[in-house]
Order: sequence, then C-alpha cells, then structure tokens
Amino acid sequence: MGHKNRHVGIIGIGQTTYSSHREDVNQPEMIQEAVALALKDSGLKIDDIECVVHGNMELFEMIHQPDIWHVLGDGGYGKDAYRITTGGTTGITLVAAADNLVASGMYDIVMAIGFEKLQEGHTTGGITNMADPLWGRSLQTGALTGATAKDMINEFGEDRARRAAMRHRITLDKHAKLNPNSHRSFGLEYDQVEDLMDNSPKLVGELRLIHMCSQSDGACAMIFASEKKAKELSKHPVWIRDHITVHREETFNLFGHDVPELTHHYAARKLFERNGIKVPREYFDVFEMYDPSSWWGLDWLREFLLLEGDEHLRMIENDDISINGSFPLNPSGGVISANPIGATAMVRVAEAAMQIRGDAGGHQIPREVKHALASGFGGTMWTVLFMLEKELGWEEID
Amino acid sequence: MATYFGIAVDDIFNTMQARFRPEGAAGMDAVLAYDITGDGGGCWKITVKDNTVKIENTDDLAGFSVKTTVDAETFVGISIGKVDGMSAFSSGKMKVEGDMSLLAASPRLFNRFTPPKKGVTVHDIFATLVERFRPENATDLDMTIGYNIGGDDGGQWTAVIKDGKCVLETGLRADATITQIVTAKDFVDLVLGKLDPMVAIGAGRLRIAGDMKAAGIVPKLFAKFTPADAGEEQELIVLKRNISVNMKYSTGRHLGMFLDALKEKKIIANICPKCGRYQLPPREVCAECRCRVEDFKEVGPGGVITLIEDVYYASPDPLTGETRETPYGTVHVLLDGCTPDCTFWHFLKNEDLGNTKEGDRVQPVWAEKRDGGVHDILYFEKENG
Repeated sequence: MGHKNRHVGIIGIGQTTYSSHREDVNQPEMIQEAVALALKDSGLKIDDIECVVHGNMELFEMIHQPDIWHVLGDGGYGKDAYRITTGGTTGITLVAAADNLVASGMYDIVMAIGFEKLQEGHTTGGITNMADPLWGRSLQTGALTGATAKDMINEFGEDRARRAAMRHRITLDKHAKLNPNSHRSFGLEYDQVEDLMDNSPKLVGELRLIHMCSQSDGACAMIFASEKKAKELSKHPVWIRDHITVHREETFNLFGHDVPELTHHYAARKLFERNGIKVPREYFDVFEMYDPSSWWGLDWLREFLLLEGDEHLRMIENDDISINGSFPLNPSGGVISANPIGATAMVRVAEAAMQIRGDAGGHQIPREVKHALASGFGGTMWTVLFMLEKELGWEEID
Repeated sequence: MATYFGIAVDDIFNTMQARFRPEGAAGMDAVLAYDITGDGGGCWKITVKDNTVKIENTDDLAGFSVKTTVDAETFVGISIGKVDGMSAFSSGKMKVEGDMSLLAASPRLFNRFTPPKKGVTVHDIFATLVERFRPENATDLDMTIGYNIGGDDGGQWTAVIKDGKCVLETGLRADATITQIVTAKDFVDLVLGKLDPMVAIGAGRLRIAGDMKAAGIVPKLFAKFTPADAGEEQELIVLKRNISVNMKYSTGRHLGMFLDALKEKKIIANICPKCGRYQLPPREVCAECRCRVEDFKEVGPGGVITLIEDVYYASPDPLTGETRETPYGTVHVLLDGCTPDCTFWHFLKNEDLGNTKEGDRVQPVWAEKRDGGVHDILYFEKENG
C-alpha cells in the first residue's frame, strides 16, 4: 500500500439518527434514510452509483443476506453489489472495500452502506456466538470484559485509573450532547465523576454500565469517487490517504499472561511508518476512535498514538481530548454514544471526513482540520485504521 | 394528581392487575418494590407468586427482592416507551437495589401499558352500534342484549335483535337474553381491545347475567368499533419470536483429542516446534509461526490464576437461551507446565468469588459424568491452605 492506482475521494455522507426506538421503520426503510441523505449530500442520483457495497452482522438480527431484502431501500437493483461482514469492523471494512474498488479503476463511483438494527435479534447472544462453539461460547459474556480495567488499575493505581476512565466517559458525553444524531447523551458533568465511579452498576469487574456502549439502531451511507470524478462532482472531497487492516488468531490466548503486541499498536506502527508520520499526536487534528467502552477508549489512545507511560492518562486529565483541546477525540461522542454496530466503524470515517470538510455542525472542532485518523475494532482482535486528508499532495514513501 | 405525558403514576399501577400475564410469571417468587419519587409518586409493592400477582400501594417496602427508585416522570416515560430504561438506569436517574435480573424479567409480567384514547366515550360506542350491526351473522336470531354501564359516563341500553335487524333502546329489560354489567372505563377498554374480556370476567370487572352460551355470539354481531380519530395515532407493530435450534460442530482432530482426554480427567496442550509456546486448547497450527503443531503434552491440572472476571451482567447462554445466574466468576489459569502466554479459560467456583485473587492456586473440579465437553470441568476452586 501507499501506492494506489489512483486517488479516491469521499463525496457523500448520510447518517440516520441513532436510537433504540426505531420501531417506526423496518430495515429497508431505515437504510433508505441514510442513502437519501448521502445522495443529497453528494448531489447525485441513484443512477449515478455504479456499485453498492453493503454490510452488517447477520448474527445480530438473524436475517440471512439482508443486502437482497435491502435493495428495496438502497436502490441497488441491477447494480454490481458486494456484501461485507467482519464483526465490529464491518463499517470501516466497507470503506476499505469501496476505496479499493474505486482505486483499482473497476468503478468510478461506489456507495457503501453500513447498518444495524440492534433492537431486532439479540446483540449479546450474537456476539457470544462468535466465540469458539465448542469452548468459549459457554464462557463468554458478549463483548464485556473487565480485564482492561484491571490492567490499568494495576498499572496506574485504582483511584487514578478509575477517575481517568470516568473523565473520558463524561468528556465523550459532552461531545455527544453536541451531536443531534447521538443515541445517548446524558448531560453528565465532571462533578459526577465520584458518584458514577462508585454507583453505576457493575457489568464485569470495574467495567460499569456507564462505561459501556449502547445497542443502537441506525445506518450510514457514504459515496466514493475517483479523483477526476470527485473533483468534478464535489466542492470539498475528502481524500483517503491510506488504510491498514490487521488481525490476530482466535480468542484462545487473548487474555494470556504475556499479552502480545495489540493489533491496534501494530496497525498504527506500520501505517505511520509507511506514511512517514513521526509523531501522530502532533500530525493528526482529530481522531475518531472505535471505543466500545471508556476503559478501552482510554487504553487504546496509548496504543494508537504509540504513546509511552501515562501520557494517555495525562491527555484525559488535562482535557486535551475535548473538542476544544489540543487533540480532539471523538467529537461525535464516539461509539459509547451510539453503536449501530455494522454502521459504527463507518461512522468513524464519516465523522472524521465531516470534520475535514468543516460541516459537522454543533460538534465541529473550532479550528481547521487537515489530517484525520479513524479506527475500527471488532472480532476478537481486529483493527482497521484510516488516514484522511483535506488536500492531495502528501509525500509518498517507498 | 400530577400527570406526565398525560398519564399519572397511579394509572400504570392501577392497570397492572389487568395487564398481568401469568405465563410470564412462571416460576417466579419475588417482591418487586417501587419507590416513585416526586409529584404524583408513591410506594408500591408487587408480589408475584404461584402465577398470581398482588399490587399494593404501601409505604412498607421491607422484604423486597428488588427495589427500583425513580422519579415519577421517568417512570411514566419508561412505562409508555417514551424514555429509554437503560439510559435512565445508566445515567443514575433510576436506581436499583437487589436482584437486578428480576427487573430484566419484569416486562414479561405485564402487557404493555397503553394510555386510554381520548375522546372515546360510552355514548360514542352506542351511537354507531346499529350501523355496525352485521345481519349476515344474525340470521334467525332472536335475542336482546342489555348493557348496564356504571360510572359517570355510563348508562343503560338494550340492543334488540330480531328478523335480521338491530334496534337500540335506552333502559334495561328484565327478560334480556344476556346483560353485561361493567364500568364505563372498562367497557371502553373492552371495545377498544385494551382489556381482555376473559381477564375482565376473571377479575370480576365484567359480569354477564343470563345465557352465557349466547354471550359467545355477541362479538360476531357487530363490526369493530373504530374511534373517530383513528389514523392520527398509529399502532407500531412489532412481532416477537423465540428461536431455539439444535446445532452441531465438528471438533477437528486436535480439539477432539483435547476433549476426549477430559473424559479421563486429563488436560492436554500442544507445543509449537518453532517458538515453543503451548496452546490450550490445542490448535492445528501455530498461527504466528505458520507451522503444524503435533507435539502434545499433559499439563496442570492445577495452576495459578492470571485473571478473574467477576460477571454481574445477566448474560444469555446462546446455546440454550437461558439467562445465566449472576454474579459468577470466570478465570484464566496458567496451568502447571504451560508457557505464560497460554492460559486456560473456565469458571470459578461460586463460593470462591470475592475471596480469590490473581496469583492464587486453583484446581479443577471434575463432573461426575464426563462426555468430552467444556462442562466436564465444573469449575476451578482454590487449593486448600
């Protein structure tokens, strides 16, 4: 990678609002909302779309090949179509696939659609079904684990670690309050840190209900075009510079005593190396991270930014990650605020692109955004990491 | 009386008896206490036992199995689906003491509360009764139906059905074939389908005097009443399904050997010929070295805990659909003889939860009857001393 056949621009973005009460629509109707918004955003008609890439996790809704049903809502009838389902990373893998399809020269304009309707089917049952059927399935509790909390408490002390995780949570809640699409924004204040630390119900160990993401309904659609088309069709295309996908073997030794290099760290190291990014914290103006819980969001900041020691904790404690801070993290509110799983990782890229365009609305970062980072997480240890740019002309590294 | 979204807290509790679903209470023996704070609030106690329910408005909430404290507005909001219960719970607006899993089960206990439609009165219903008459279902029928409707909005009517025609009279006839005796509110709810007739009869809220057999014909004699404002507010239809299917999976040779050894109370790992790491359960290849792993070795059965997860979330078992009892513990155990990146994942003995820590030594407790599965080991327990 690093040598694409041709550049690819993001020229259309559409998101539904995220909610646990979308009984008013069925799946195709929900998807149609996002598709219509993406088309409107790009100024295109459905006939302009050459190929549709569609994805979610079938295990959640227990609907086989929803892409066929959803032709009713996505306008994909008679078009080339692909379906992608890679767990939590589905949404961002859709973006990777659309980027590759356009960059290859196969298509000039591709639409990707990620969705989930988690009030249908059974989310935790679906996630637990991902574990090995003969062993882990009887032991696993969905995506819930207190292991990261325990590790951080061991490393940084109970009080500091628990405060940092809760401060992270409250910062993201404040961001969510600015984003009208958020599923949840409670209006939390920093003076609630101690109350919530002690009183929010425990799920697993020190992972408490308040730390954990919701189960949301919603869809996101994005439209991608070749450099030539993007410049013709869009006033402000956002350029996909590079992306990387990394995963490990299955769960069996995931929580072993000697933790191997996490896929997040590995992905960031490789991606930044091949793009000549020496100090990611200084290079990127915004990071939209797939953060299913505040403990992970906090811990992974160190992994993705290749930080040492307690710098990630200090970033939280100094409010560097707030929308007005030196390194805004998830101005959208992040996954903790809305998690329609098959769309979630795409929303990270979409939100990062909106920040570059400068039209994110109430949660727009109040200064210019040129370079954005977006991540996806899923499976047991699966990472996708994206770099977006406002301008073409970055330095190619061999 | 304070109302929220047009509904009082009392409306919700007062209709619980009628909304109770005995099938949803099977096997439950519990007291659900509610402390509803703020204007229009109060304390309520719901006792569920032997497929029956008792609803009490009482300040004495002692002896509860689970207690919910929430403000009146949030309570009403959750009850009618305007407020997300999980969000209220997460943000601390709703506090729960005691057995949380009961609360998760509580929606099964009651049919959903639906606010009465405004504007529909007993008089509206009788105003259209004659035009809703279906003569095709009344051939050769000669009967009189009395309606004795109590309450402010009530009244007395008699429908006389003869020669394929229906005439409505005011007042009651002593010789009516049947007479329905019911309050105005319940009558409206019955007509709108919000109150189940069998429930109403069972609860003594609908009495039918006269020929009970004839009562069975009555619903067929009239088309469904449609309120004048129907169409303004739509019912959102959501269908619920339970899926339970049997599944089978092939183990492959490596996992098969491992599972087979469990029957003999042995735990076997395999060892990568290149990097030397142990794999537990054994896998066909070392994914990191990309080579076949054919060297097997018995390990454990005792070991040292490297991680304990105390689980409070009532997780469903995807194989059975049954909710696991909480809290429970899972442990990762570095079995004797293994390399440090190879830990063994299993349950911790319930009695050891809370007094066991990382670094403690544990031993597996084997099931009496073993069939080569994950449950051949019941759990790990602390070593004595």
